[in-house]
Amino acid sequence: MKRVPTPRPETVARIRALAARQLTPEEARQALATPLGELELEESRSLIRWFRRRYPTPAARLAYARRAYRRWQTAAPPDERPRS
Amino acid sequence: MQGSEFDEAEFFRAIAESAARALLIGRRALVALGIPVLTADYDFWLHIDDIAAFNAAVTPQGLFPTRTPEEARGRGRYVLENDERVDVLVARTVPTVDGVRVSFDDVWARRRALEVAPGVTLPVPTLDDLILTKRFGGRPKDFEDIRLLEALRREDP
Repeated sequence: MKRVPTPRPETVARIRALAARQLTPEEARQALATPLGELELEESRSLIRWFRRRYPTPAARLAYARRAYRRWQTAAPPDERPRS
Repeated sequence: MQGSEFDEAEFFRAIAESAARALLIGRRALVALGIPVLTADYDFWLHIDDIAAFNAAVTPQGLFPTRTPEEARGRGRYVLENDERVDVLVARTVPTVDGVRVSFDDVWARRRALEVAPGVTLPVPTLDDLILTKRFGGRPKDFEDIRLLEALRREDP
């Protein structure tokens, strides 16, 4: 398997800044007006159905989220950890 | 943040048993409803008069506020933190990025209860209101979350 090079810190910072920026009101209206595509909808619904089937209660889902975050935290370099 | 040492069920129980009017919002609410997204913290929208009650409830969990209630009321938000991080919104009304004013009292009146731990229920906004709260931040990821919430709506029409 080909090893993917780690992105440079400035690249990570740039991507993070793009993800964290606030949309303009016009961009927000455009985003809200863009309908879900058929494929996107089916993939999202499939993911939700799996999650709800595998973790049928909110408590089980929340526990999964904590485990998933811990796994991510262990595996990801500090600069790439998720922020809410 | 280690996560494993934090008793999430006890945290939720303490909030539920307090008199604080606190709505679970943000990605943790999405997860509870059935959307598998990654998140590091907890987000609540709290009635502006209930800051002291909320803080008192979670202090035994080792969570301490970054601002006094007075400062928090002035800024409209504050954070409780230690090994975990809890973002708390305390404004009476919040505008979305596209200009809709959303009132805590209205969202609270429409709330639904969700059992977040065995025997513990917390209020969460309705799906429509949760989508509105996602429009507060206005970041690209918030709009991605809105699309997932719209897909969830198709599952729970």
